Amino acid sequence: MSERLLLTGNHAAAYGAMLARAEVISAYPITPQTMIVELLSEMTASGRLPAKFITVESEHSAMAACVGASAAGARTYTATSGQGLALMHEMLHWAVGARLPIVLTNVSRAMAPGWSIWSDQSDILSQRDVGWMMLFAESVQEAQDFILWTYRVAEQVFLPGMVGMDAFILSHTAEPLIVHDQEAVDAYLPKFDPLYDLDPAEPRAYGGLVNRDHYFEMRYKIYENMDRAGQLLVEAGEEFGEVLGHRYTPLEGFMLDDADYVIVSAGAMTSNIRQAVRDLREEGMKVGLLRVIAFRPFPVDEVRRILTGRTKVAVLDRNMSAGHSGIFAQEIRSAMLGQPDAPPIYGYVVGIGGRDVRVETGHQVLHDLLTREEPELALFVGLKGLPIGPVRKDFEIKPLAPLEVMQ
Amino acid sequence: MRWVVPEAEHMSEGTLGCQGCGGALSMRLVLKEVGRDAVGVIPACCWSIIDGPWPTHALDIPVLHTAFETAAVVATGVKAAKTIQGKDTTVIAWAGDGGTFDIGLQALSGAAERNEDILFVCYDNEAYMNTGIQRSSSTPTGTWTTTTPDQRPEARPKKDIMGIIAAHRIPYAATATAAYPEDLERKVKTAVETKGGMRFLHLLSVCPPGWKMEAHQAIEVMRRAVRSKVFPLYEVRNGREYTITHWPDELPVEEYFSMQGRFKTLLSDPEMLEVVRGNVEERWQILLGRHQRSHPEMAPTN
Amino acid sequence: MNGLGHVDDYPEIPVSLAPTSALLKTGAWRSVRPVVAKRTAPCTAGCPAAIDIPAYFDEIRRGELESALDRFLRRNPFPRITGRVCPHFCEQGCSLAVAADEEPVSIRSIERWLGDETADRPHVVEAEPTSKRIAIVGGGPAGMAASFYLRRSGHEVTLFERRDHAGGVMRYGIPEYRLPQEIVDHEVDRLAEMGVEIRTGVSLGDDFSLEDLEADYAAVFVATGAGKQRRSDIKGESLLEPGLPFLEAAKRGEGTALGDRCAVIGAGNTAMDVARTLRRLGAHVTVIYRRTKDEMTAIEEEYERALADRVKFEWLMSPREVKKARNELRLILDHMRLGEPDESGRPHPEPTGVSSELRFDSIFAAVGEIAEIGTFPERMRDDQGWVDVGADGSTRDPKVFAGGDLATGPATVVQAIAAGRAAAQAIDDQLGFSHLWPEEEPVDTVKPAEVNPTYMPHHDRADDHEVEVVTQFAEETATLSDAEAAEETDRCLSCGYCNNCGTCFVFCPDAAIIWEDGPRIDHEFCKGCGICVVECPGHAMVLVNEREVSNV
Repeated sequence: MSERLLLTGNHAAAYGAMLARAEVISAYPITPQTMIVELLSEMTASGRLPAKFITVESEHSAMAACVGASAAGARTYTATSGQGLALMHEMLHWAVGARLPIVLTNVSRAMAPGWSIWSDQSDILSQRDVGWMMLFAESVQEAQDFILWTYRVAEQVFLPGMVGMDAFILSHTAEPLIVHDQEAVDAYLPKFDPLYDLDPAEPRAYGGLVNRDHYFEMRYKIYENMDRAGQLLVEAGEEFGEVLGHRYTPLEGFMLDDADYVIVSAGAMTSNIRQAVRDLREEGMKVGLLRVIAFRPFPVDEVRRILTGRTKVAVLDRNMSAGHSGIFAQEIRSAMLGQPDAPPIYGYVVGIGGRDVRVETGHQVLHDLLTREEPELALFVGLKGLPIGPVRKDFEIKPLAPLEVMQ
Repeated sequence: MRWVVPEAEHMSEGTLGCQGCGGALSMRLVLKEVGRDAVGVIPACCWSIIDGPWPTHALDIPVLHTAFETAAVVATGVKAAKTIQGKDTTVIAWAGDGGTFDIGLQALSGAAERNEDILFVCYDNEAYMNTGIQRSSSTPTGTWTTTTPDQRPEARPKKDIMGIIAAHRIPYAATATAAYPEDLERKVKTAVETKGGMRFLHLLSVCPPGWKMEAHQAIEVMRRAVRSKVFPLYEVRNGREYTITHWPDELPVEEYFSMQGRFKTLLSDPEMLEVVRGNVEERWQILLGRHQRSHPEMAPTN
Repeated sequence: MNGLGHVDDYPEIPVSLAPTSALLKTGAWRSVRPVVAKRTAPCTAGCPAAIDIPAYFDEIRRGELESALDRFLRRNPFPRITGRVCPHFCEQGCSLAVAADEEPVSIRSIERWLGDETADRPHVVEAEPTSKRIAIVGGGPAGMAASFYLRRSGHEVTLFERRDHAGGVMRYGIPEYRLPQEIVDHEVDRLAEMGVEIRTGVSLGDDFSLEDLEADYAAVFVATGAGKQRRSDIKGESLLEPGLPFLEAAKRGEGTALGDRCAVIGAGNTAMDVARTLRRLGAHVTVIYRRTKDEMTAIEEEYERALADRVKFEWLMSPREVKKARNELRLILDHMRLGEPDESGRPHPEPTGVSSELRFDSIFAAVGEIAEIGTFPERMRDDQGWVDVGADGSTRDPKVFAGGDLATGPATVVQAIAAGRAAAQAIDDQLGFSHLWPEEEPVDTVKPAEVNPTYMPHHDRADDHEVEVVTQFAEETATLSDAEAAEETDRCLSCGYCNNCGTCFVFCPDAAIIWEDGPRIDHEFCKGCGICVVECPGHAMVLVNEREVSNV
């Protein structure tokens, strides 16, 4: 029987791992993810989740333990955030090259220094090219469900996947959550059938030295499988609806049908943007919302279909790639490049380091979009003393201010 | 055969070890005792190469190649999966000195502290040999490497990895070398049978190119390391109970050093040589004291 | 790689598909190759009979005593005898002494043990009867050995012995406490049992001539020994008792010391035997020698035993004259010092000008023996009047062979045995039957620097036990126990002979030595590191330059 509970995003993620019947979990505490680890520890200690929980000494080791366990045929799960995800980086690559369908939850937070535990997409998007599937949750329910959805696809293409959830806004916010019926989940997500499982009866070497004659071919298969994951995400999202009651899609539209203007968003801030879109509709602006759920594989064809012919597109990025622009904006621009009737893409950088992205922020961005003529790589929203605008070209590096100013 | 060493062979011919490779020999001897119901985890080290390029593999057990610093924890993960699956497979982390003393130390310490049910084997050739002979924290005082050149040979003593491991109070740790194969096999057997917790074997493993010596002297040089007390053979149970398993004779350390070009500068520096001799003797005395405290009933049988 | 021409041919991940041995033929790296090689052990090289000691030791170790004995008998028919009296030249070269500063392996004791263990085994004639008749003259070790090998080869052998029993010096010269009579009897019996006809009480010259034998036999081997006392230049020599007849009398139980204070002149093995026999007869004995201990020809072991018997030694004393005065003998001695080496290579003793006199009840001469060759016709002599004998025993008469002390002067039992065997082989060859003489190709001798004594068990050498003497002339030592023999055999490094110890196999870093009850080097993969060669305890492997090895 499914049940309805009031839970935070972190606890929802723990429930997601439990419903997935993760067999080996290895994690390291980091704010704001720690509650996931704590609840999973309780679940495994009590036997509610019959998994092996390894309390490793770093995130790098957390991912390494998952690599070992997954290579030996176990369904594995971990959760991390910010610095922890960055520390995992090498092993994220390893999971891909070894084709291990590990799933992790990343509670996205800003990168140090200075130390910041607040919401920011920089950590997860820094892992854009490692070859993991990446989904962005908007709700507590999605924080749980996307884990199942990801496993479903990951274990068919033998690629790992991560579910992003915003620090605090989701991780520490309680919402009603439907915890699915275990039997139904089992029907949706059958037991993991690994490619290999380090069986001594089959003494092979995995992931050893590969010379130039052979490396490319095996790496190409990663690309091919990630490509296939795009279609599988659609199918598995539909199955989710059939079996567990809610259909998920890689992209989600809101008021798009007649929209001349489209604002693109991902993650929890999308909720406020949705309200802003409603408000602007009431003001008469023909605006719609496109939420990016699947960032990898990126639904290029669907994005093109949706955005072609619009007047202007704004893309919200809670991250910035210094020297270029927000990363979502890059992805959208890249998808639309060379398309007939492609709209101009305006990149807006918002909410860095956990600064609130309010409904009003959405209003400001949409008003700016209406009036701004030239699309800019990155338009910074909410910087003190500066209007919305592109990077300054005529600034000087100022000498350090004397300490008394701080008082 | 007059040796108490299993005849069964679990290492294939055609490995890519250099001539006289102590790492290859160590693996071969260890697997003889471990047998086939095992999984190996190998981080970046010479064995990443020795095992052969794809599509080849040199061992009768499955091997998961992994990142440099992760041997202990990947083995932990493998063991966790095997345990969940109800299998009693021995999981061996097999790392060089870099992957043990240096970059692998954090994960190793974590696994040791958690008393993971794995066997960690360090085949120690006392420098980064696979990358072309750079110093590691296992490189002993006075050693030439490409990053401790003759003008400035290694100044610091070799890291006391066994002391670090013992401090974790794991059930079983031992030093061994292929020059004493029966001692080695017995320790492997003990390690395999000490299930349920972390086991650690520290194997001195000659590298003829890195030690600048002739390949055919590979066994003799390891034997001299033991005889001269540079590398004593002993076991540590539960981090406290020390047992010396082979009593060295009074071979002067120079007899060990002089076989190796990497100690050429050391041998011509009487002051440094004195320091090294002192270190070797000091460590031996500490070990001897621990042995005697562990075995008050046994007089030393030197 | 075949079959990898398309991306679809590849697995999803780099998972191995073959063992390294399938694709990496590392033997190509090699510039030198190890080869298991049979080489001559220093002990074998030192043995006049060239017994393959490591090989029969290996058979002992494996419990194959019959094979061990067979191998031994190929070179020496009398392990029970030489196992007791041989000066064991073999042990002098033992690599252990040089390479490990250990006592040499107690080879003679093992030989004795093997001989005693297999004493019940009769000798067999191994070849088809040839109906060739061969005469052997002289029943000492050379004659007995020749009889054995010729009979074994299928010939009809008649052994002529002038005394009542065969055995020669072994029966009549070597004291009972060193070599019991019953052992010699047993060997003579075994020869008779295998069909050697032994005629005793007949002597060359008196009962038949060389020409008589040549008329009746296909070949003749003469080995009548060196039993004639060498003359000394001591004034009053007639007052001296000759050593050999004394020893013979003692062996018959008729020996007498002729007083309480006895001197023995000379320091060879006969002198030791005489001195020690005299001690057993209750006399006080002084050995007098004109040089020093370092130059004496007696083997060290017998000297040590003489000391243990409390025989006194007077070094650097040269007897000048013996005088009888009342009921004692006065021996005038010139005191000597050592000078430059003489033609024997030893320092020549020179008089110091000082002399002294010692008094004895009897004085025995043991200054050496020479061969009695009066029975040989002139045509067989060389310029000096000696019988001209080749290394294989051949003489100037194609039907006549000779050997042993007759040809060499007084030597050891084992040298006589070797001579008897060599002559037997030459005779067999000459008669056209050479199939029982498998000769190995000559190979180089293992050098002490090559061996590796690391792995041998380091326990003390096991020697024959001293036994409490029950009767005056009872054998003074006892054979090793089986356990002692086994332990002692284990000390052998097996120089130049692969005894399948497994050291090469254990230490091969490349698994390129396949163990098939013994090592097989897989040259397809061996990288030529050379570890097996240097670790091989007996260096029964060598490195061969690849350029010298064809067709590979």
